[in-house]
Amino acid sequence: MKKYFANIWGTITTLKTGMGITWRHMINIKKDNVTLQYPEERWPRPERDIGFEHEDYNVIRSRLHVDIDDCIGCLKCERACPVDCIKIDTIKAPTRGEDIPDIGHTGVTENGTNKALVVSRFTIDMSECCYCNLCVYPCPEECIYMVGGPNSPKHPIDYEFSEFNRKDLIYEFSKPLTSEQKSELMNPKPDAEA
Amino acid sequence: MGVVQGDQMVLNIGPQHPSTHGVLRLQVRTDGEIVSEIKPYIGYLHRCFEKHCENVTYEQVIPFTDRCDYIASMNNNFGYVVTMEELMEIKVPERVEYIRVIMAELNRIASHLLALGTYGLDVGAFTPFLYMFRDRERILDIFELTCGARLLYNYMWVGGVSHDLPKDFERICIGFLDYFEPKIKEYNDLLTHNKIFLERTADVGVLPPDVAISFGVSGPNLRGSGVKWDVRKDEPYSIYDRFEFEIPLGEGEFGTVGDSFDRYWVRVCEMKESIKIIRQAIKNLPDGDVFQTIPKKIRPPKGSIYRRTESPRGDLGYYIISDGSPKPFRVKMRSPAFTALSSLSEIAQGWMLSDVIAILGSLDIVLGEIDR
Repeated sequence: MKKYFANIWGTITTLKTGMGITWRHMINIKKDNVTLQYPEERWPRPERDIGFEHEDYNVIRSRLHVDIDDCIGCLKCERACPVDCIKIDTIKAPTRGEDIPDIGHTGVTENGTNKALVVSRFTIDMSECCYCNLCVYPCPEECIYMVGGPNSPKHPIDYEFSEFNRKDLIYEFSKPLTSEQKSELMNPKPDAEA
Repeated sequence: MGVVQGDQMVLNIGPQHPSTHGVLRLQVRTDGEIVSEIKPYIGYLHRCFEKHCENVTYEQVIPFTDRCDYIASMNNNFGYVVTMEELMEIKVPERVEYIRVIMAELNRIASHLLALGTYGLDVGAFTPFLYMFRDRERILDIFELTCGARLLYNYMWVGGVSHDLPKDFERICIGFLDYFEPKIKEYNDLLTHNKIFLERTADVGVLPPDVAISFGVSGPNLRGSGVKWDVRKDEPYSIYDRFEFEIPLGEGEFGTVGDSFDRYWVRVCEMKESIKIIRQAIKNLPDGDVFQTIPKKIRPPKGSIYRRTESPRGDLGYYIISDGSPKPFRVKMRSPAFTALSSLSEIAQGWMLSDVIAILGSLDIVLGEIDR
């Protein structure tokens, strides 16, 4: 009998404590409110001051971008990718380090490296990407990076890149080449050699 | 399930059920509302983690370990890199060790918050879940500030970490701890000492210590049964031997030792211990270069190694065989949630169907880790 009433008493008091907390939060709704009405309001992204040379390391996990004029086609990022979402094809350039204006190929990178290869295909399938950031580090020319981060003036961060068509998530970074241009690059004309 | 008698019924809970914490199917034989037999079916989330590791290089394994126990990715990374460094005989700088401990303990708090919140949800308390997720969000913000990712970090690398800490990390982290410590009392008032919650969990699903040991259960589930075993204390890895912290044990405060409430209560106490560890680590955080010992090429010598660490779910072990090439010959992961789930059929027999949900929730399983 005593236990019966003790049970009831315990239920009432603990419920009162719990409801007290809930009510306190409800009264202080201005202060305690954490819900954001998403499309109208955005969560502020943390201010990143990571305390050392900012340019070298990327602290943002967003979509990838490639400065194709700086790419030398070394395939290091392709090899680093654990899910194989980066695909690169290259063709040997006829002359090292010279521009080919017909196909918009620049011969020298921003860091001053002479390019020996023409990147004929550079695609990243963002629907496969696992955002592990492993491809960013090995790049010798620092041309592949996640947008935002140190390159934010060039490419502001964008987390919302959903598409209606799955194919639109395959990003093509290389300059478009026709098949004639490709075969011309692969088999240089004899008069050009002479 | 065998022969089913006339008044018995075979029920499938899951694979799509909110209380199975993932994609798990429980086949139960019920007699009225009493469960007489229970059989978990797993494999719905199987992603060939171990086989996949044989085809990628050592550093590419780390993003896959993230995806095993996706609630506590830092701890999974931690186990893997500790094992690899032991195999390659790398001595990482002090700063890296401290950063790793801070991150692992923060992730432990986040993981326990999710475990406790969803456990409350399983037994019918909705409000604590929202409050715990509010605070978990702050931990994820700290991770985002540090490494850019909120859930799958790929933060700890073999020989170092991917990013150094941000400049005012100490202030932010201490600020969070000061904010979080009083909140534990709020959770206790809301959920732990609630009479309805106690009635649902105390004395339910008792896991005796000898059964727990024979099933290989580890972590908070084992400690809830009153067995004092914590890899951080008993087999210290990294720098855990430098910190002072207690190992909370289940005491059967409201029922028998090893019941669902004890498993829950051990997790609450562990959060307090984690706060202690983080405070000590931040106080002693040395300066240094975190990229100093990251090897250019990871090519461990021939041999094999097994090391275990304490993840929020228990002993997380990695067994790595190297044949001297840049790709591992074999990676085996010993998952603590798998053993916890295997004990379910033993301890949930004879309880009511609604209690089975409460028992399953108290084991805190993550199906991503069980199926791998």
